[in-house]
Amino acid sequence: MSAPKVNSKKFKERKETFTTNSEIPVKRIYLSEDIKDLNYERDLGLPGEPPYTRGIYPTMYRGRLWTIRQFSGLETPEETNKRFRYEYENGITGFAIAMDNLSLSGNDPDHPLAEAELGAGGVNISNLQDMETIFEGFSIDKISAAVIQMITTTCPHTAMYFALAEKRGVKLSELDGTTEGDPVSMGGCGPFPDSFPPRQLCRLGVDLVEWCTQNVPKWHAVSFTSYNYRETGINAYQEIAGLFAAAIDYIEEELRRGRVPIDKFVLNFAFHLSAHNDFFEEVAKYRAARRMWYKIMKDRYEVTNPESLKFRFHVQTAGSTHTYQQPLNNITRVAYQILAAALGGAQSIHANSFDEAICNPTEQSVLIAIRTQQIAQMESNIANVVDPLGGSYYIEWLTNEVEQKAWEYLRKIEEQGGWLAAVESGWLFKERREAQQKHAQKLKNNELNIVGVNCYEMEKEPYQFEVYKQYESKAYEIQRAKLERLKKERHNQEVERALARIARDTEKGENVMPAVMEAVRAYATVGEICNVWRKMYGKWDQNII
Amino acid sequence: MAGPIKVLMAKPGFDAHNWGATVVSMALRDAGMEVIYIGMQEPEYIVEVAVQEDVDVVGLSLLSSTYTKLIPKITRLLREKGAADILIIAGGIFLPDDVDLLKEAGVDEAFLPGAKLEVIVDYVEKNARRKKAPVL
Repeated sequence: MSAPKVNSKKFKERKETFTTNSEIPVKRIYLSEDIKDLNYERDLGLPGEPPYTRGIYPTMYRGRLWTIRQFSGLETPEETNKRFRYEYENGITGFAIAMDNLSLSGNDPDHPLAEAELGAGGVNISNLQDMETIFEGFSIDKISAAVIQMITTTCPHTAMYFALAEKRGVKLSELDGTTEGDPVSMGGCGPFPDSFPPRQLCRLGVDLVEWCTQNVPKWHAVSFTSYNYRETGINAYQEIAGLFAAAIDYIEEELRRGRVPIDKFVLNFAFHLSAHNDFFEEVAKYRAARRMWYKIMKDRYEVTNPESLKFRFHVQTAGSTHTYQQPLNNITRVAYQILAAALGGAQSIHANSFDEAICNPTEQSVLIAIRTQQIAQMESNIANVVDPLGGSYYIEWLTNEVEQKAWEYLRKIEEQGGWLAAVESGWLFKERREAQQKHAQKLKNNELNIVGVNCYEMEKEPYQFEVYKQYESKAYEIQRAKLERLKKERHNQEVERALARIARDTEKGENVMPAVMEAVRAYATVGEICNVWRKMYGKWDQNII
Repeated sequence: MAGPIKVLMAKPGFDAHNWGATVVSMALRDAGMEVIYIGMQEPEYIVEVAVQEDVDVVGLSLLSSTYTKLIPKITRLLREKGAADILIIAGGIFLPDDVDLLKEAGVDEAFLPGAKLEVIVDYVEKNARRKKAPVL
């Protein structure tokens, strides 16, 4: 059957062409002929069976609902502990630590920029003491936590969580959780002013994966995060292509080292994707990503362990889709994005708070975000059936389309020499810049409509809500005083010895984690540890083109 | 004064959100200006480049609460270096009530989310050299 003819005068369409967010043109209606080459066994399969397009577990949310993992952190470890308790009491089932920019950049409260940066965007974590305070009162063998950092501090911040587990008597071999420490963000965000170069950053990231495979097998030692990369303006298929390009670089590096088998170390991988505005395209993206990962593992690397073939991922609702104008509208955006993530089969979801385009979230806005997830889980019945959109002509066609375009873009990145090479050459920054410019153009021409920004604007803000004023806090003074006290009380000789060992092991090409663990246990700070590498590796001179 | 308007665009400190700064940089460049984009940098370095390159305009973009501290620091350092004639524009996520605070600290104009690119370009074209001493 072909598309029905309609009276073009009476039913004139609103636009000449309709496209997805990624500029894939879409037809008025999809029919069986649009997916005539689809082979059910080969392309879809049952949930829990290859190629996992329909989900990685046979029962999916009928067995276990997705984890409500809120990304959260406020100024001091004490404030963050309070916020974590509040969220836990209100039903979150997983934690993700949001750190401030000072900690993310690998610097301490005595850094010259600390007065401004400490507490900005999250909690300050300079040493093991801070990690202890954040999780005061939580049984870390019973919770699932994600340590979210930029790649710079992958090893030291993860080591702090591991050292906390040791102190609490939890065996590392049993410890569950995730490190973000991801190399994908480098392709969009650009380096901190004092960052060391990307190749060295990745070397440390692969060290953590390798060490966890041997010592903390249940830990996801890297969560490849296309979320931040997507937030810089690139589209859905570029997002998953970049995700896999970075994962392939990690795999290649580990294969080159040959210390742990691929079947094992990919079990320590996790993925963190965005949930953007184009509802069906996002669902198609998650389904395509599962199928692509299966093919990469099976066809390219000939992996046989079925667990390694499964694409496990976390989703965060896209902050860049939020508006500063009429911010309560963001609650609705988040709800649609959660729906896309859930219908796409995510293992865990973070819902943004409506005020995050303005400030750190307040208790009230966080509660709304948590409740939005719970309403989806408890009331909407979307968790009753696995992959309920599967079999829709449009969704299956679009899944194929997104997958094909992602393969093509992955090939483009590989032609640049792979992810890392494309970061180093500046090629990815150029791609990002072009995407950002295109977006600006579309906004200007009204090809892209954002409610409250270029349509339905209001001169006066219609909503009343409380604003979180981060800069009124005393976090800097508090954290700085704590650090000074710590430096007097700890065994500084032990710290020096451990820092020297980090330098030695880094130099010799040995895995840095044993030395980093030793340093962290002695209460060395993230700044002290990163300074060892800054000294050895020098500065990343970013190639901005 | 002849020649195109020269603009330095930077993100003070450790705030990685670069979308706004990039888009504004490209819009100014497309309007015929010479734009130097240096990404995330420390305030001292931004001021050093501004003075060395003898720019007409410094653009500062922040989507982080650090703006209340880092932007006034840069305006102060510029004054101390005798570069008070540089036009300073700021853009990003600022609480509406803080715009006055930024202006008191020496920012000539602040642009909030939703500001139209053509409005920013027009402002820079009209004001880039208004603080400079007239050439006799």
